[in-house]
Amino acid sequence: MFRILKKSLKTGIVTGQHPHADQPAESPSQAVCEKAMPFRQSLTIREVDTGSCNACEMEMNALANPIYDIERFGVHIAASPRHADALVVTGPVTVNMERALKDVHKQTPDPKLVIALGDCAINCGVFKGSYAVTGPVDRHIPVDVRIPGCPPRPAEILKALEEIRRPASWK
Amino acid sequence: MTNQLSLQQRIQMAFPGLAAAYSVDGLLHYRVEKSRIPELTQFLHEKARGRLALLFAVDCRPLAEKYEIQYLFAFASDHPWVLLTIELAGQDRLFTSITPSVHAAQWYEREIRDLYGLIPQGHPDLRRLVRHEHWPKGTHPLQKAFPWNKTIGRQQADYRFRHIEGEGVFEVPVGPIHAGIIEPGHFRFSVAGEPIMQLEVRHFWKHRGIEKLFEQQTLSTAIALAERVSGDTTIGHSLAYCQAAETLLHIDVPRRARYLRSLFLELERLHNHLGDVGAICNDTAYALAHAHCSRMKELLLQLNDRLTGSRFLRGAMAIGGVTKDVSAIELSEIVALLDGIEKDFAELESIIFANASLTDRLETTGVLTERTGWDHGVVGVVGRASGIDQDVRRDRPFAAYDEVPVNISLYRYGDVRARLRVRMDEIHESIRLIREIRANIPQGPVAPAAAHRPQPGQWALSAVEGWRGEILYFVMTGEQGSIHRCKVRDPSFVNWPAIQWAVVGNILPDFPLINKSFNLSYAGNDL
Repeated sequence: MFRILKKSLKTGIVTGQHPHADQPAESPSQAVCEKAMPFRQSLTIREVDTGSCNACEMEMNALANPIYDIERFGVHIAASPRHADALVVTGPVTVNMERALKDVHKQTPDPKLVIALGDCAINCGVFKGSYAVTGPVDRHIPVDVRIPGCPPRPAEILKALEEIRRPASWK
Repeated sequence: MTNQLSLQQRIQMAFPGLAAAYSVDGLLHYRVEKSRIPELTQFLHEKARGRLALLFAVDCRPLAEKYEIQYLFAFASDHPWVLLTIELAGQDRLFTSITPSVHAAQWYEREIRDLYGLIPQGHPDLRRLVRHEHWPKGTHPLQKAFPWNKTIGRQQADYRFRHIEGEGVFEVPVGPIHAGIIEPGHFRFSVAGEPIMQLEVRHFWKHRGIEKLFEQQTLSTAIALAERVSGDTTIGHSLAYCQAAETLLHIDVPRRARYLRSLFLELERLHNHLGDVGAICNDTAYALAHAHCSRMKELLLQLNDRLTGSRFLRGAMAIGGVTKDVSAIELSEIVALLDGIEKDFAELESIIFANASLTDRLETTGVLTERTGWDHGVVGVVGRASGIDQDVRRDRPFAAYDEVPVNISLYRYGDVRARLRVRMDEIHESIRLIREIRANIPQGPVAPAAAHRPQPGQWALSAVEGWRGEILYFVMTGEQGSIHRCKVRDPSFVNWPAIQWAVVGNILPDFPLINKSFNLSYAGNDL
């Protein structure tokens, strides 16, 4: 017990110790902000991987570490799409994942946001055109927010989520 | 080199009349009649204790009207690899399955059948693997006649899972979309009460057609694709690809670049192992260790970002060397940071092992026996935790590992704790290696000027010990510097089937923990 306390005291608070990201090039539209209003600045996210290289997943996981600590902003990761306000989709949509993505989208209660995370989800990236890839996410379900990058840094994801959560009246 | 002679002699003695077509340092190549393959592979596997490292097909059209199937066997560290090649000329679509005697061939042969339409006769399980049931009949994407950007139709069909029937036996389907932030895959458990009676893994949801995409690239442009085979193994895959390309282009990598490659590979190993140690603890609900590990991992990812402009070291590898030199100041910054992390991590280790309830969850959980591991040809961390003494860094030194030798940590128990221990030992070993690299790194250029055009039809094999285990690349050139065939084998592909045996008899709630202790890539497996 003493050892654990000593370790915690020695480490101190590390939250926020990361390089800061620039303002995203594209701020979310008025319609997206209005759609996010009922969530009252708190977002519950379900992450869906439809064929990414798993770097985007690692960065999503990094958001939960003590340095980014996304929970302090009221952003949670839900275990089921039925509990989610927003879907974060990564990767180009593969032939085999197409149906699963549509199912998940159907299972998520309205109102819902769809966030395409990473270049692959936005435009298929290096996998563009392959026989096994059916196209970017917005070919299958409507996308509200796009976070570009290969993969986007956690600080950039944080910034983009902050933009969505900010009430429309603050702008 | 008496051992090399002895292996070659043993093959000669057992199969007189079989001449090695090709014998360079570290590789013996035999072209054989396709009817002889079962007895030959059985001899190499059972008598010579060879591990089936790779099995894949090549469509030789338009150069020649034939398919080739290649069997690669790896032996103990001082022996060469043995590559067997058979031909299926013209309209021939049949070859004899070796799965009945070499179990490790099972997924490879199903993969060949799906991607090429070649039938492994006598294979005990010919269900589809890569192509899910909704792909129309006759879709074999790696045939040269198949356009790379063809749109695939849809048909109605269902996958037949293996069922256990009886009173009180239930099936639990999990996936493809899981509860955490993980990649998609389907697991089908048959349970009686809590204990798992059977697990069937149904993967390839993320199949993106990477091997076909490689064929649209040239040798020099394909690195970006190799980096994205499995995002967490960016350096492992791009290095393995670059080594194969360098062999084809006759490029000698400068010594400084070799050291930097080892440095990047060890940095990648470090951040992934730290993440895994934390995640294994987290799956026993020990969030404290997870928080500390993910904090240390984040420090390393930020270091990567400062070094190369990418948190995953993307764009660091180039054919012939590396794209970025690391200055002496940066090297001392790395070592200073790692000194801190080593101390930090050692403190955490003693906290982790002082926790009895944690140890209780880890010990005897998810045991993969050496025998099962050997039958599956398991590699990497999972293999070393089950007593399989194999590490490419020692067995076939690449990059700077001939001058900076690595110490291997080996455990016999094959449980979750052993896999955790291997990772912990490798964290210390990687830090030691990086100190050695800093002490010994020579001055010089980091990328050479290259000028050689390979002939179409030439090929090269390369192996890299990524943080998960042995990564293999086979690259064959086509016309004008293009890629005719690129076979990618992530360690996950051989380790996934083994997990089906490690979970048997464990309780269902322990599966996430066992799965995490393997921590295999779905993307690298599905390609």
